[in-house]
Amino acid sequence: MKKNIFLTVFTLWLSVILLTGLFATAVAGQIMIGGLMDTTGVTSDVGKDYALGMSDALKCINEQGGVNGRKIKYIWFDYGYRILNAIEKFKKLRRLECVAIMGWGTGDTEALSPSANKHKIPYLSGSYSAHLTVPKKTPYNLFFSSDYSTNARACITAWFDRKWPKHPDYGKRKPRFACCYHFAHPYCNAPIRAIKDQARLLGFVTGEDVSISLSSVDARSQVIALKKIKPDLIWHGNTTISVSATIRDARAFGLRSDHIVNIWGFDENLPRLAGKAAEGVMGATPCAFFGQDYKNMDKVVASAKKYNPAIPRKKRTIRTVQAWCAALLLWEAMKRAENAGDLTGPGIMKKGFETMRNFDIGLGASPITFTSSDHRPTTGSLVQEWRNGGFHEVERVDLKKRWPDKWANEWLGW
Amino acid sequence: MKKKLVLMTVLLFGVGVVLTSCVTVKPTETNFKAPAITLESFEVPQYDGYWYYGSKTKPAKGKAGNHGAPLPMNFLFNIENPNKYPILLESIKFTVAFDKEFDVVTVNSQDTIWIPAGKTTQVRASTLITVRSGLLSLLVTGGYKLKARGWSPWKALERWWTGVTDYTLPVTVHEGAFVFKADGVTKVLPFAATFK
Repeated sequence: MKKNIFLTVFTLWLSVILLTGLFATAVAGQIMIGGLMDTTGVTSDVGKDYALGMSDALKCINEQGGVNGRKIKYIWFDYGYRILNAIEKFKKLRRLECVAIMGWGTGDTEALSPSANKHKIPYLSGSYSAHLTVPKKTPYNLFFSSDYSTNARACITAWFDRKWPKHPDYGKRKPRFACCYHFAHPYCNAPIRAIKDQARLLGFVTGEDVSISLSSVDARSQVIALKKIKPDLIWHGNTTISVSATIRDARAFGLRSDHIVNIWGFDENLPRLAGKAAEGVMGATPCAFFGQDYKNMDKVVASAKKYNPAIPRKKRTIRTVQAWCAALLLWEAMKRAENAGDLTGPGIMKKGFETMRNFDIGLGASPITFTSSDHRPTTGSLVQEWRNGGFHEVERVDLKKRWPDKWANEWLGW
Repeated sequence: MKKKLVLMTVLLFGVGVVLTSCVTVKPTETNFKAPAITLESFEVPQYDGYWYYGSKTKPAKGKAGNHGAPLPMNFLFNIENPNKYPILLESIKFTVAFDKEFDVVTVNSQDTIWIPAGKTTQVRASTLITVRSGLLSLLVTGGYKLKARGWSPWKALERWWTGVTDYTLPVTVHEGAFVFKADGVTKVLPFAATFK
């Protein structure tokens, strides 16, 4: 009898220990992913929606089983585009043993690039600066989108092919070109060298660039300066708020130019803020706009509604979709690394990202390839135009196809 | 014999407790009732006044830079669980707006808290902004709204930093998303409230 009692007590005790152990294993099996976002700083007009989209995406990925059955624990911080804050949070994420970090802008990406590379932590950012695409220099930096330089080259080319031949002066003179951006900001000035190169390649006459603050809502003096150049085409390198102000003031002051805009200035808010002045504005889009009919968009829209029910649909933009693209890309890389039994930073990079060849994440993004010598994810860009109350495809420009030698031998990294 | 009886009683009691806990209601999509959320209070735990200096000003210690007065904020929420089982508050996310329309910060708390069946728990979410962060946020996202009110950014910032402690400034919590879980069932509740 005594023996039986002890056996029963022992069995119960063992069950408790086993259950506790299983729970601990489940928690230990989580994959830690970090996030550095800007929901309050100088790029928060586009950063907040990106941060929400990232959180939605990783929650949805967990609902679909996570990484081969292992759940993702996503810890993110708003660093407010304050670099010191980003550095401190990066250290925190390292302590939490994050295997990858979803970063944000050029500021944090540039500042943290040496650390991410030293500690071999894949750093997927919303900064699509071309100089992050050379694995020899920055092996752990990457992004899903065509880079800023590719985008600008694609936009200039699409305008030159499609719009310039319809201009009354076509064949009589060379087209005039100018750039309008916040000179001192690394996001804005990152593709300038490539832009000037592309303008030269296509035979533009380039005027003096005009600087405008990222936070400006009044661009009258800049428009007056641009009127002296009379550009046929202006490239805008800021984010949506100041781009909308510039385009609106350009129309108000009778500046008859066409406009092409870098990724972070071309979204659903541009026509809302610029009104009629947004008609005909073109931009390179790394993926579809929120709600456009593409593969996986149903998940994006459903998750936005589920996880942020208080935010109306009209406030969700392409930024949500961009974040999703980054999350889906990391998900695929982690699954590949996990299958190879190496879910570490180097494993995710070498056995995950760098094994991708024309990988399709859906959402209107171009197929993605990474190799150990080239981190340019795509070879071109989809150019879209705001026309008659909607975004419409102008052309998917493939730079590699059009200038294969330059693409292979000259353009990597800038 | 007496010893055996005591041991048996303890054992039976233990088994009874385990069985009782197994018999409780299992959470499902249909029986998971939405918890009731209210904003109990808002406070500034430490107030340092209103000031700002730019990078050209030489500080007595440390490096020069663009710095402004901090404004820490605490939001205390009541969360009532009407269910017959405990639920887990997994995360809280909301945006704080001053003067109803100027978003100053988005708060993201990932602290997990269990709320017992039928009980109300108080959850405190803390955040901090500075005059500098407020300025940047305001310039980027509030430019057109400021223009409509005829305010300069500095006028708005001074109004906020001086008005917040005497509670003359409407502080709004909006775009809230409270994520609850119970045995694999997830419920996300929207939330908005203004503390006057």
